[in-house]
Amino acid sequence: MGNLRNLLAAAAVLAATLPATAQQLTVWHDLGDNGIKWFEALSAEFAKQKAGATVRSQSFPTDQWFGRVISAINTNTAPDLIFNNYERVIRIQDQTGKVVDLKSLMDKVPDKGFLSEDDMRVATYKGRQIIIPIQRVQMAFGVRKSWLDKNGGKFPDTWEDVKKLAVAFRDNDPDANGKADTFGLALEAAKPRDLIHILDLFMFGSGLRHTLVDPDGKITVDEPAHAQVLEEFLKTYTSYRFVAPDTINHSFAEMYQVIEGGRAGMFRVGDWNVKKWDGANVLGGDFVSGPWPKFAPDRQNAVVIAGMRGVAIPENSPNKALAQEFAAFMLSKAAQQASLENIGAGVRKDLNVSKLSPRAQFFAKAEGRLVAYDFPESVHAFYPELEAAYHRKLMSGIANPPADWKPFIAETAKEMRDLAAKLSKK
Amino acid sequence: MTAVIHIIARERVFYLFVLPFAALTILFGVWPILLSVQVSLTASASALGASPKYIGLANYVAVLADPLFVASLWRTLAYTVLSVAANLAFALAFATLLDSSLIRRGNLFFRLALFLPVITPDVAGYVVWRWLYDRSFGAINAALTSIGLPAFGGLSSPDTAMAALLIAELWHHAGFYMIIFFANLAIRDRSLEEAAHIDGATTWQRWRYVVLPQLRPALVINTVYAMIQFLKTFTVIVVMTKGGPGDRTNFVSYYAYQLFDQARYGEATAMATILFAIVIVLSLTAYKLGDREPGR
Amino acid sequence: MTAKPTSRFAQFAAYGVAITTSLLFLYPYWWMLVSAFRSTREILSAPLRLLPETLDFSIFTEIGRIGGVDLSTYVINSIVITTLSTLVGVIVTALGAYAMVRRPKAPGFTFLRYGFLVTIMYPYMLLVIPVYIVMYKLGLLGSYAGIILFLALGPIQFFLFEQFFRAIPSEVIEAAMIDGASEWQVLTRIVLPMAAPITATVTLITFLLNWSQWFPILIISRSPDTYTLPVALLSMNSELGSNFQGIMALAVITTLPVAILFLLAQKRVMEGMASGAVKG
Repeated sequence: MGNLRNLLAAAAVLAATLPATAQQLTVWHDLGDNGIKWFEALSAEFAKQKAGATVRSQSFPTDQWFGRVISAINTNTAPDLIFNNYERVIRIQDQTGKVVDLKSLMDKVPDKGFLSEDDMRVATYKGRQIIIPIQRVQMAFGVRKSWLDKNGGKFPDTWEDVKKLAVAFRDNDPDANGKADTFGLALEAAKPRDLIHILDLFMFGSGLRHTLVDPDGKITVDEPAHAQVLEEFLKTYTSYRFVAPDTINHSFAEMYQVIEGGRAGMFRVGDWNVKKWDGANVLGGDFVSGPWPKFAPDRQNAVVIAGMRGVAIPENSPNKALAQEFAAFMLSKAAQQASLENIGAGVRKDLNVSKLSPRAQFFAKAEGRLVAYDFPESVHAFYPELEAAYHRKLMSGIANPPADWKPFIAETAKEMRDLAAKLSKK
Repeated sequence: MTAVIHIIARERVFYLFVLPFAALTILFGVWPILLSVQVSLTASASALGASPKYIGLANYVAVLADPLFVASLWRTLAYTVLSVAANLAFALAFATLLDSSLIRRGNLFFRLALFLPVITPDVAGYVVWRWLYDRSFGAINAALTSIGLPAFGGLSSPDTAMAALLIAELWHHAGFYMIIFFANLAIRDRSLEEAAHIDGATTWQRWRYVVLPQLRPALVINTVYAMIQFLKTFTVIVVMTKGGPGDRTNFVSYYAYQLFDQARYGEATAMATILFAIVIVLSLTAYKLGDREPGR
Repeated sequence: MTAKPTSRFAQFAAYGVAITTSLLFLYPYWWMLVSAFRSTREILSAPLRLLPETLDFSIFTEIGRIGGVDLSTYVINSIVITTLSTLVGVIVTALGAYAMVRRPKAPGFTFLRYGFLVTIMYPYMLLVIPVYIVMYKLGLLGSYAGIILFLALGPIQFFLFEQFFRAIPSEVIEAAMIDGASEWQVLTRIVLPMAAPITATVTLITFLLNWSQWFPILIISRSPDTYTLPVALLSMNSELGSNFQGIMALAVITTLPVAILFLLAQKRVMEGMASGAVKG
């Protein structure tokens, strides 16, 4: 394979001599057409302060985004910037070790008082600041408003309220089309992040911390309060018949089809969904958001800050200096306003929200009680593998539901303990 | 050595003809495969770096000790056997039907209907099937319940997911096998059947002992094609199930592919090599059983 | 078949089976087409409808831009990549197969043939990383050239040519050689004219098969600018949700060109594919 390496060297030299388009920045994200429009707006705004510079963004489906970024960074063909949720950038850093530490850049940004300590903690991984936080990701519990109005109109507060509504939505033909083709909830399950993410929302939204593992590495699955939420959660997918049977194969794309197709009455609402769902062809604004259901009277329920989207720069970014300038620019008021208008989220508190719909304002003004996710990925390097095993176990339960969930939960907790012990030794 | 050079010099025009083909085969076939095997011998974390760390067969050992991989391998083999049998039986039955004197008018239409899915982009076809199967909103269950039949679990039930995939793949592939059987039937020696008929053989006996043996070439080629095809089942899983529900359709190709996402390159390529070896061994065996030289 | 007249019942049953099976095979196309004109809500609540509620073509303008790239770009990419990879593939495969048939024993030729056969059997979806690396090393990453060259070779094309060249009687070529023709002249004046029909068949089949390709294109592309229709179809789900009706409309656009081409040239395609296998 010696020749092979020589060829590689030759190719690398060749690649280096190609003319560089110094003024064009490329950013890879997974936000689809709204994201592309957002970056077009950013590009125009950035050109005002940096004449001649343009920014081009490319959107990939999330799973493709991963593989692509990792292989690009590993072969020195990286884009100038990458944009995604912090936990995905952590994985990029874990697997490539080539995400720029932005601490010194951040120190030079004068206007950043709006970023909290929590925000900065999320942005930091193993002592490196791997992203500049750009959008707080809020996720609320949503109900189809017209269906809710037919059932008393009161937003469900407790899990019991949700269960009653779910039965009504499933059995009482809320869309009055004469067919029993509606479901209480639209959820997702197919991939590890799908199922565990929804579980996270129910856990954190009901006032608990640490869905699977706490920062000390202790498994929380079978702690009584957790086990209660988990059991109800698993029943939601199975014996309660609140979700479509195919949910077991649904990832977010299919979940959205069920929501947008008007087949389910309760669902997750992310701040980034609102713009699309306000559209006349989609939900036409026929939904209302609030905190996640309450499972115990003594625990406060809340809207969950389930993530932080931020911008990161690969070490081998072709135009690193300009990329850094642009990354800092993304915190400016103009850039953040564009972010709010195109994606529905930002990190600044001084933005103009008057043009937004009431549903978008719910998130923009942070009207709900907010609780932050615990971000186990940034504490335990083994978390993704543990989560994948947890997902597999829960899915086996959903596929073949046991008569009694309690032994299943106890058994799951034990398996997770064994695995966590094994993985943390690695 | 000089003899070889001499031959090459004498036959240089043929080497010239073969050069572009050789270049493409080596650059985009042999080389990537060798690279893949090379990666399977390295530690994942260093696999793509400047100086990969070689760890011998450790990845193969790890993979074979992984119960999920072993389960996935058995699942893949079971699916392959079922798919090959179902596709060939269906294709042979349909080709025989179209070849019989029972179907005269409309013969071409029937062949077109079955062959159209073969040239339809698989991604487009499976996107449709995925929603036809949906238990709550799909056309298949709507049709079943409207005529009073019980609902089909489709992709959502662990008991039926594999069958659902098999049917969708049969839709896509069976036309190809059918056409091959049909062509083979057309070139058979019909006088043998007449002779058997005169000797008093029943329709079944004539088909079983006179027609079927003549279909050996089509049977062998279809078996080998189908085996290679179904051992590598991939697109349908990407589009329809993502390996679910609960790993029921997590075949080797998809399981290994998922490992790339977790940057477990060494293990993923080790799985690729194992699957590759299985494909080769099984295809060669099928050829041998069919009494044909593969390198003919 | 001969002898006893087939009973009416048997014929009735045979047609019943054939018609039912054919309609079941064709139904997904109809569903795809109808769904392209129906909203997600309509599709999900009445999946069995045989005709759309309204004939509204606006979805085709709605998907005019997908992933920041014009739909027309995907269409042009599909046409350009499929056409060029087919032409390159047919020429390269014909020459290669011809040389290997004429000189099966030449040093390296057996190795090459086995190398090719082995490549066909490899689980291609696991070549993600190696192909990426190879394309990078050759400087072809994200280029049309990389995609076209990668798609050029395929098994059926090779077997069809190989089998055709084998069937050429050696006397024909020997006669020409005795008349003093060079190998080049034998190829251009004798073999190629004979090979015109098979070349047309292979071209057609290669075009149809390459149109469906998605995985290599996804791997080699650096951006959606070089995606073809099937890749665009697979990439229509983003974090922001998906457009169900749009997916069906794009599926129609992806399928229609090859379906029409196939129906126009069905005899050549079906006979070609079958002969490549049975006699080969």
